[in-house]
Parts: sequence; C-alpha cells; structure tokens
Amino acid sequence: MRYAHPSRRLFLAGLGAAGTTALLSGCVTSGSSGKSSSGGGAVTFQSNLSAPQAKAAMEDLVAAYGKEGSGRATLNTVAAETFRTQLPTYLTSANPPDVYTWYPGSVADAYARKNLLLDLGEVWTSSPDLKRYSKALTTQCTSAAGRKVFVPSTYYWWGMFYRKSHFAKWGVREPKSWDDFLDLCDKLKAKGVTPIGLGAGSNTPWVASAWFDYLNIRINGADYHRRLLAGKQRFDDPEVRKVFDRWQEALPYFDPDGTALAFQDATTALLAGRTGMMLIGTFFADAAPKGALDDIDFFRFPVIDPKVPLAEEAPTDGYFASARTGRRDGVFDLLRYLATAEAQEIYIKGSSGTVLPCHPDAEDAGTALVKKGRKHVEEAAEITQFFNRDSSDALQPTADTALTKFLAKPKSIGSILTDWQRDAEKIWKA
Amino acid sequence: MAVLTASERTSPAPSPPRGRWARGARRTPPLVLAFLLVPLLAESLWVFWPAFQGFYLALNKWDGVSAPEFVGLGNFAEMAHDEVFRTAAVDTVLWLVVFGGLSALLGLGAALLLQQERRGVGFYRAALFLPVVFSLVATALVWQAIYQPDGVLNRLLESVGLDSLRHAWLADQDTALYAVIVPALWRQVGYVMVLYLAGLKGIDPALYEAAKVDGAGRWQRFRHVTLPQLRSVNAVVLSVIIIDSLRSFDVVWSLTRGGPYHSSELLSTYMYSTAFQSLRLGYGSALAVVIFVLAFGVIASYLVRAFREAD
Repeated sequence: MRYAHPSRRLFLAGLGAAGTTALLSGCVTSGSSGKSSSGGGAVTFQSNLSAPQAKAAMEDLVAAYGKEGSGRATLNTVAAETFRTQLPTYLTSANPPDVYTWYPGSVADAYARKNLLLDLGEVWTSSPDLKRYSKALTTQCTSAAGRKVFVPSTYYWWGMFYRKSHFAKWGVREPKSWDDFLDLCDKLKAKGVTPIGLGAGSNTPWVASAWFDYLNIRINGADYHRRLLAGKQRFDDPEVRKVFDRWQEALPYFDPDGTALAFQDATTALLAGRTGMMLIGTFFADAAPKGALDDIDFFRFPVIDPKVPLAEEAPTDGYFASARTGRRDGVFDLLRYLATAEAQEIYIKGSSGTVLPCHPDAEDAGTALVKKGRKHVEEAAEITQFFNRDSSDALQPTADTALTKFLAKPKSIGSILTDWQRDAEKIWKA
Repeated sequence: MAVLTASERTSPAPSPPRGRWARGARRTPPLVLAFLLVPLLAESLWVFWPAFQGFYLALNKWDGVSAPEFVGLGNFAEMAHDEVFRTAAVDTVLWLVVFGGLSALLGLGAALLLQQERRGVGFYRAALFLPVVFSLVATALVWQAIYQPDGVLNRLLESVGLDSLRHAWLADQDTALYAVIVPALWRQVGYVMVLYLAGLKGIDPALYEAAKVDGAGRWQRFRHVTLPQLRSVNAVVLSVIIIDSLRSFDVVWSLTRGGPYHSSELLSTYMYSTAFQSLRLGYGSALAVVIFVLAFGVIASYLVRAFREAD
C-alpha cells in the first residue's frame, strides 16, 4: 500500500497541474500576453486556400521560400469555412500561427483595432518591392490607425462570365447598358436558354451579394455602398430600395434553380449552355475544366447611370500576421519574400492562373482573359472588394437571408429591408 | 481528495474508524478512487467547466475577440423579441413531434415486423440499421444529390408523370424543413428499431400464450401485452429521441444551414450561426442555455414521472 501513495500523489499532482494549465489556457474570456519579439523555428503559415490548384500553388510557394535560404515556413491548409470561423480563435490564442492568408481593408482593420495584428511597418519600409506597389494598395493595407497591417499578393475581378462559342451560336453580343442587357436576356430567353445563372444555393448563398453590390455601386456609387456596409446608411433607405427595383427588372431572367444550386453547379450549367451568363469572380475557374478556360469570356456589369463613377469589384488577397507571434523576424522575412514578383509568379503558375499579381513587375498568366481582366480593373474609377470584405463576415449572413428571401418573394421587399436593417444593427452593436 | 491527502499527511498512524463515512472511505481501494476521481476531474475540465463558462457567457455581450461586456439577462430579454428565435423554437418543436413521433412509430413498426426469426430477416434488420453507421454529414451529402433540382427525386417524379410535383426541395421555404427531416428519420429508424427489438425479445412468450388462451386477438395482444411490457424501452426511446431532436444540427447544417431565410432553422443551427457566423457569442451562449434547459426539463420531468409510475 505504501508504495502506491507517492505514485498516486505524483499522478494526481501532475494531473492537477495539467488541469490548471488547461484551465488557464482554456479560459475563453481571459486575455493572454504577447510573446518575445523573435524566436527560432519555422514560421507557421495558416492558409485558407484549400481548392486543389490553389493549395498546390501555396505548397510550391513555401517550398520556393525554403530553397531561397533566408528562412523556413510550414504551411497548414485549413478548409475555407473552418478557417473563417476559427480566425478569431487563432488570433486570440496564446500560441497562434504566425502568418495567415486573408483580406485587407475593413476585414483586416477590424482585427487591427483590437491589437491582434502585427505592425508590418518595418516590412513595408525595408522591402524594395512593397515601395513600388500602387497607392491604392498601400492605402488598402493600412489600418484606420495608420499602421501597415497587410501585405497584398494577388487580386481578381468579378464580371458577367459567358462562353464565347455559346454567344456566337446564339448570335448575341456583349451588352453595354442596362437596357442592352435586358434585351440580351430577352433574346436568350426566346432561344430557350435561361439567361442568368446564379449559384446562391446549398452552401454558397453569398454569391447573391454580388448582384446587390453591383447594382448598388452602379446606382448609388461606391462611396454610398461603403457607407451602407459600414452602418452609416440604413438598409431600409429609399436608395437601397432603388437597387431592388432594378433587380426586379432582371428577376424574370434568373434561373429558377438559382437559389437551389451551389455556384460550382451553376458553373456547370453555364459551361453546358443551360444558362447564358453568370455574375461571378474568377475563382469559379477552379471548378471549370481546363479545356473550357479558353472559351470563357466576360463583360462589365452594365452601366445603369452614366453619371455614377465606374466602380468594379476586385477583391485583393494577401497576408497578415499575428501580433502574438514569437517569430517576428522570421515573419518579416517571409512577408518580404511573399511581396516579391517571383513569389507571386510562382503562385500564379501553380494555380488556375486567373488572378492578377499585385506586384507591378510580376507577370500574369498572359491569357487573353487575364489581359482583359487587368484592363477591366484598371479602367475603373473605384474599386470595391465584396460584401463581406467591405463590411464583415458577421454581416454576411444578414445579406444571405435578405437576398435569398428577395429572390423568392420579391414583392415583400419592404419588410425584407426592415428586417435586414434590424439584423444588421445587432451585428454593428455587437 | 484534498481532505484525504491532508489527513494522511497529518496522521501517519491509522486512527480508529469513526462513523459510517470514515469506515467507507478507508475501505475504498485507491485504484477504485482513481477510477472515480480521474474521470470526474477530466469531466470537470472538459465538460463542466466549459458548460459553466457557457452559462457565464450567456450573461455577456461578446464578439469572441474583445473583452466580454456584462449585460445580465439582456440576451434572454432580446430572445423575447427575436422573430428568428421564435421560428427556430417552433421548428424545433415541429422537429421533435414529426421526427421524434415518426422515428418512434416507424422504429416500433419495423421491430414488430422483423422480430420473428425467419429466413432472411437478418438482412432486413441490417439494411435498416445500416444508415446508423454512416455519419450524418455523409448522409446529408447523399440526400443533397437526391434533392438537387435535376436530382434523383425530381427525375423519378418526371418518369412517373408527376412533373407538377418537381421542386427545389431544399430551396423552398415550404418544403425545406420536411426535406431535411427525411434523411434524419432514415438514419434514426434503424436505431430505434434495435432498441425495440431488444425490448420485444425480453417479453416472456408465456404472456402471449396466456393472452391467446384467454381469446385475445392480435390487436388486443399488442395493446394489452406488448405495449405495457415495452414501457421501460419507451422511456429510453423517448429520452434518446428528445436528446437527438434537440441536438439535431449536422444534417440541417449540411443541407440548408437553417435556410432558406430561416425556414428550416432549429435552435441548434440558430445558436451556431449566431455564435460563429455573426460572432455574437454571448447571445449564442444564451441560446445554448435555452436548449440545455429544454432538454434537461423535458427529460427530467418525463423520467421522474416514469420512475414514479414504475415504483
């Protein structure tokens, strides 16, 4: 019996110590202090790019950084949805991953305001590459408090995508104005083709937000759009109502299964010619067969009011780092590398190649589609990101509910907007 | 445990046992104590502590990043005016009645059909039980393909000339909830069937013989012998069904995420989307507390009544 006591005590004491540690680290409401400025080991790199081509391209990028010799990074790819919901937990944990793929602008600023992002001022001043980035990108990567918190890498654009061969077969052409667009829809409908595919069903209801964004920036302008998404305007304003009045004009041309299919399935319908066109970002190319890519083209979302400055949705992607990183020097080194033309070209070569590099000297994939996309973005007077990037991930579900309800019950728009404002206020006040 | 350790330290020589408690404690072998205390400690750390934190968070406004702000019962007061909460509560009750009721009825029906040992009955039992083996998320993915606008169900309807019944089953607010209940039922029936089969096996055949001798018909035997004998199994089935109904989440989340526009929202999906999508963790915790109270209240009241009747 006697010999059992010390081991039991030791065991229980050990368990108690482990439990105390777990309690302290598991206390969700407690804060935890930052760590030392620099430590050894590979930089941990958390990525949400889980689509096969994008994931492989990120692996190439990390391998190239390792070969370059100045440091090492370990890549951890997490499914996009899991990454999004876990990001606040990563950033507030005591031992967070060091570098993350994510978005600049209001999304990064929300974390920067809570002192969760590493100040990257030193990276921006020491990197010869970042000094050459456009002013717009520099502003986008600066927090409201004036600190650099983001390093951009690539951007892509949203547009009305279609298949060139199908448009030729149906004898239709790209429209310029809203009236041209409705005429095109009529022609396609007369040929037995569903004019507009959507893909806001299953787990991708957010795709419908692109229609809201574009109609709003075409009717009320990008500035109003940003103010609305920041809670400085109301969703039940008459200006927002105008957006839905226009949308109702196009509604009869939408695929009736638009809220039942995920965007990947809607892409299949587009490529197969069951639908004529689709408002989507270039990321849909990841779900398209390589052979079909050469046949894909797009046109600008039609102009509704020529007096409103032309704005386009062109979300930027890139990286930020945790303020609690223990490997600050390694993080700075990795981010300096990711800002180089070489790094961005490696990513573009490994992925579907439909994104554009942020570095002014980096080469894009060089296809006709990408060249047109670059021109499309450069011609815009203003750039917006996307609903959740210009507002917050927390506000996105309110848009999903309001917009899918509008698509099913357009006549209830009055109550839909009242409810949207009510739901949005809860998020802004949270 | 701390008291025991302290007494061991202060009194090396065994003192005479005083009273029943002291005798019992002394006789408990350390290994048994470890088997009791270690799981208790683990449970405390990974179950009770987070649960208490959940209760605490329900009294706060918290976005998961900033410091929580104490709002007292503010989250619960908000629930009183929250239409989505009301929809989710009604849907949860509907889920409990339809999913719970049908899984009990169909499970019992299947058990009665398959209780006789006949050739091939094992195959049918296994076939009905098979969906229990699959994860609900995998089940949901299969059913998602079935419910697609050009999926199996719509094609089947077309092939038998029922084109008018074609539907976007998961995207229509009138059908979404019921469409989601079907895969959940498909999985649950086999589980309930196994519970009832075990119950039916436990009934003494002599009771049926006696009932037959007394001239009882098939229905009378079921009504007066089978059902009363299954009372204890019913308590288990009811508890399982209520718990499964209130924790139903995976299949709904995988298929509709509570949509379209909250029409298939359950309290569990609303709790998740509020907490982890809208990042209102305080309100989400308050919803979790409501689910806990409902589950605990319903089950406890039923079990207390059931045991009282049994006594």
